Amino acid sequence: MSDYDDDNFDDGFNEEELARKFQIGLWKKLFTYTLPYKKQVGLLAFFAVLTATADVIYPLITKGVIDTVAEHGADARLVPYVYYYLGCTLLLSLSVGGFIWMGGIIRTHVSHDIRRDGFENLQRLSFSYYDHRPVGWLMARMTSDCERLSNILAWGVLDLVWGITLMAGIAVVMMIMNLKLALLILAIIPLLAWVSVSFKKRILISAREVRRTNSRITGAYNEAIMGVQTSKTYVREAENLSDFQKLTSGMNAASVTNLTQSAIYVPIVLTLASLATGLALAVGGFDMLGGAMTAGMLIAFLAYTRHFFEPIEELGHWFAEMQMAQASAERIISLIETEPEIADSEHVLQCLWRAEQPEPDTQATSRLRAKNRALDGGLDSISRIELQDVGFSYGDDNPVLQNINLSVNSGETIAIVGPTGGGKSTLVNVICRFYEPVAGRVLIDGVDYRDRSLHWLQSNLGMVLQNAHVFSGSIMENIRYGNLSATDADVITAAKTAGAHDLIVTLPDAYQTEVGEGGSKLSAGQKQLVSFARAILADPAILIMDEATSSIDTETERRIQFGLQKLLQGRISFVIAHRLSTIRNATRILVVVDGRIVEQGTHAQLLELGKHYYQLYTQQSISQSAREISTLRPGLA
Amino acid sequence: MIASESRNIQNGEQHPKTANLWRLTTGKRMLYTGAFAAMVMASLLMFAAPLIGGYAIDVLDQGDLGQGLPVLNQLAGQLSPDASSTLYLALSAVLIIVLTALGGVFLYLRGRLSALASEGIIKDLRESLYQHLHYLQSGFYDEADTGDLVQRCSSDVETVRVFLSADIVEIGRAIILFITLLPVLFYMSVSLAWLSICLMPFLLIFAVLFFTRVKSLFLITDEAEGEMTAVLQENLTGIRVVRAFARQEFEISKFARNNKAFRDHNNRLIRLLGIYWATSDLFSMSQLGLVLIAGGYWIMEGQISVGTLFTFLTCVSIVIWPIRHLGRVLTDAGKAVVSLKRINEVLGKEEESREPPPAINTVHGEINFEGVQFAYKSGLPVIQDFSLHIAAGETLAIVGPPGSGKTTLIRLLLRLYEQQSGNISLDGTNINDISRQWLRSQIAVVLQDPFLYTRSIADNLLVGRPDAHEAQLVNAAEEAAVHRAISSLPKGYQSMVGERGLTLSGGQRQRVALARALLKDPAVLILDDSLSAVDTGTEQQILTGLKARQGKSTTIMIAHRLSSVMHADRILVLDKGRCVQLGDHDSLSREPGIYQRLCEIQMALDKQIDQDVHQRDAGGKG
Repeated sequence: MSDYDDDNFDDGFNEEELARKFQIGLWKKLFTYTLPYKKQVGLLAFFAVLTATADVIYPLITKGVIDTVAEHGADARLVPYVYYYLGCTLLLSLSVGGFIWMGGIIRTHVSHDIRRDGFENLQRLSFSYYDHRPVGWLMARMTSDCERLSNILAWGVLDLVWGITLMAGIAVVMMIMNLKLALLILAIIPLLAWVSVSFKKRILISAREVRRTNSRITGAYNEAIMGVQTSKTYVREAENLSDFQKLTSGMNAASVTNLTQSAIYVPIVLTLASLATGLALAVGGFDMLGGAMTAGMLIAFLAYTRHFFEPIEELGHWFAEMQMAQASAERIISLIETEPEIADSEHVLQCLWRAEQPEPDTQATSRLRAKNRALDGGLDSISRIELQDVGFSYGDDNPVLQNINLSVNSGETIAIVGPTGGGKSTLVNVICRFYEPVAGRVLIDGVDYRDRSLHWLQSNLGMVLQNAHVFSGSIMENIRYGNLSATDADVITAAKTAGAHDLIVTLPDAYQTEVGEGGSKLSAGQKQLVSFARAILADPAILIMDEATSSIDTETERRIQFGLQKLLQGRISFVIAHRLSTIRNATRILVVVDGRIVEQGTHAQLLELGKHYYQLYTQQSISQSAREISTLRPGLA
Repeated sequence: MIASESRNIQNGEQHPKTANLWRLTTGKRMLYTGAFAAMVMASLLMFAAPLIGGYAIDVLDQGDLGQGLPVLNQLAGQLSPDASSTLYLALSAVLIIVLTALGGVFLYLRGRLSALASEGIIKDLRESLYQHLHYLQSGFYDEADTGDLVQRCSSDVETVRVFLSADIVEIGRAIILFITLLPVLFYMSVSLAWLSICLMPFLLIFAVLFFTRVKSLFLITDEAEGEMTAVLQENLTGIRVVRAFARQEFEISKFARNNKAFRDHNNRLIRLLGIYWATSDLFSMSQLGLVLIAGGYWIMEGQISVGTLFTFLTCVSIVIWPIRHLGRVLTDAGKAVVSLKRINEVLGKEEESREPPPAINTVHGEINFEGVQFAYKSGLPVIQDFSLHIAAGETLAIVGPPGSGKTTLIRLLLRLYEQQSGNISLDGTNINDISRQWLRSQIAVVLQDPFLYTRSIADNLLVGRPDAHEAQLVNAAEEAAVHRAISSLPKGYQSMVGERGLTLSGGQRQRVALARALLKDPAVLILDDSLSAVDTGTEQQILTGLKARQGKSTTIMIAHRLSSVMHADRILVLDKGRCVQLGDHDSLSREPGIYQRLCEIQMALDKQIDQDVHQRDAGGKG
């Protein structure tokens, strides 16, 4: 049995790659997300500097107290130091509270904004984008990557400002007190910085391995839950567990490695820091013997050596984190910046922009209204669709559709039949402009649909898909998805037309029944009826049905038929279905085989032809299939 | 209560014990003990620097080697009587470095041992959750929300992991530092020692109070995040519907609401944390300030030396850090408690009973339902007074409107659910008396919406029979009319099934699932509306294949198409959970009822087709 770590598991997307080079441009783009929060960033930096200043001042107060006592003995006045100390403490705690407040705003708002932009772009991106990216992959970009980057942008920046200020402040004070000793201690910095960065990187790499394994474990849980019935009925409990144990063992090894690396790193840093302490004590003590240093100074020095290395550690962490997070940044920026392959043309955008002007030329608007124009200036209604020499492929050499010619008028119902994988769904997707033809063109009332607004076309669509997808929420809400302004009565009427009403009222909470995540509380047939009602409520100019009746029993289907016939009137309808009884009444039937329309005509015409359609049609006949089976089993007839 | 418990014990029913923190550490306690011992050593050694430094300062301050550590003193005096002060300093410095390095070794041991302990515990927890999910009663999943459940298994486990690997150690560190330090401080100066710790209890109480107060906010924030993720996920999985109704704007504003709610809750939480850290800084710095100022006065009075003050200041700042951190640690601990509770809610749900397999060799597949009654929710019966005998080898078709209980019958037979009254038996044995796993391994079922694992197609088929060889695989695939489709894939049988079988069409998925079931070659074969997405031509091909198997295994077939059911030995018409009609095609098509209507529709169609064909033929001749 293959493991979960098959490369294909990630659908060819390597989860996280170690970025080779630091890409300034990428981070610049990310930093633009902090621009709306300039004030907060400014305050964050301000508070960071204040905090660092307080950190620098404390040892000086200690020094002052000790030296004053040493100098004046019993006459020493320590009261001023009490005030200094109190002031410094208030400053510190206010600035700490302040930078957390500001950092919190930046952190949460930036991640919100990145996610908002990502989501909005995901709503614009074409299906081709989704074809290559699993939902889980997109989810990871929109959740963990967002959090990670906004963490860097808020806390990373904070630590940068704080760390640099603190180190610079300490360095300056130390140099003023004792230049030689200060330089000796500063000499340890490069060593410590090198250790920090290289270790932090290692730690982050193993942390990445942990995360990667972790996401597989999450995937395994997900699969365990989704497939629980299958696993139970195939008695897979033990096998699944032993497969899962391979994952958890890998996880265990990776995590222990990661934690062990940290366990080695911290002592090394501490020992290096003690090198500085020892140095300060020996050299500073020697100077003190010579009278060049006071006891207070030496104590301040010793305190500084302890504080000095904290920022290096933090900066090392963020530096390594930024290197590692570059891949995240790259992915999320590309998600936000990818232009949808299918979008409104310049011309359409201009028209839309003009139509949306707050103070429109009232005459012009009324003219638009009078002529029944859509926002993009074209006709609002749709009365004719024409496909001219349309060809399509999914970016490779395999043509999925070739030389499709078709013209459909309002009121016509076009049935599309043919074998699985022949291109029926793709044809419909091209008509809906979910994909654009790579050859030929699609005309709506004589205008290439690429010259019309995408939103206009798609809001004229109604669709019932192969796998009826419903959203969590009530049945009422789901049907209303077809027309957001519909009243409850409208929804119920649509449900009645779809033949779903009788069924819905038998459910515990009738129309208010919660369907669960992805409609998990409804059966496939119930979901289809709901999606039927949804499409009916949308009252679309173009109705698409893709194998919509496959999971509905004949009885229910019959219930739908009547309403459906009414629904089809005055629209352009495309129906993909295997049950030819539905299609018999279609205005025209297309037989699509291997991406071509091989037969086209009315039911009678195609029967007359006696080829593909004739075969398909007669297969529907029970007597026909009975004959087939009985020839195999002579005894039965 | 007692009776049911004893029955459970008899049945060998197993419940994983609820995972409280203490029980989780079973088997790993030695490792933790080692980690804590190492930590004691490490913290003792880490105090060397301030202590040695304090003595050195006193030596320098008072120019008297007698103030220094006696050991170093003697050593310095022996090595070089002339420059003994300088040498004392050098020796102090070296000692600080050596002891710190030695302490580092123990620190490493602490990290390593606690890593082994915590990761081991989490591994066990993960595995028991995973196993539990497989053995949970099916009823659990009716109400369960997948996203939430996955979150409990992943992020909640992660929270517990962080607690075990970092927080426990952190709490231990604070306690050990405190315990090891106090005697030293009290030895040096009793009054200054009291002063050094006087604010710490308040700091701790404040931390605990604060984090108990904000606990609910953590929960709210987590929930807001969960909701946001759920909306995102639904949008992405239903993107086709979103586009088909051009509902982008609606979705954007829906997501915006959730995104904003999460942002604002999270922001509020961070702001409160800001207040916490600011206040705790105030406490800790005041504590240090007290020591400094009082120490200053006591130096003036000659009560303590400068070196002692240095030692105190350094020690207090070492100890106060973990105590301040205790606030964050307690947050995590609070979160871990919540997470553990959420995990326990899952682990505490009852599993299916697991009985030992019976000593039966061959199963004939005779099934009997007797007065079966079942309701998912009391008051809403789904199956009512249902009795039926299915002979071994019989093919039974079930038809009925949606919600009539067809799938439920299958679930009862598989013991996925248990009937509230009545009996179901296989080969005359009550299925409640035989092991579920054994029972299920006698039955192969193709579900309505088949699930395929994220593995290769071959691996998915092998689920049906792990020891099958390639020829058997191909055979089954051919019988399910899917061999050609699989072979045409770039990697053939080794092709990976994408996310929930996205790369396969609905019909292909159904056929792969069918092949998997056929490969199992079971005594009972159940097809639950599993040819619905398969086109008519292929359906006929499959039915023909199945027909050849008739008599070999008991077959139950739920279907909507007449063509699928009419050749069954008997057809059962189910309506509102009751058997309303039962008989073969000939008799049922003469009886008024659902089935007859079904036949009429088909017959009308048939007639139509015949007419059309005749017309065409006649037209052709004419």
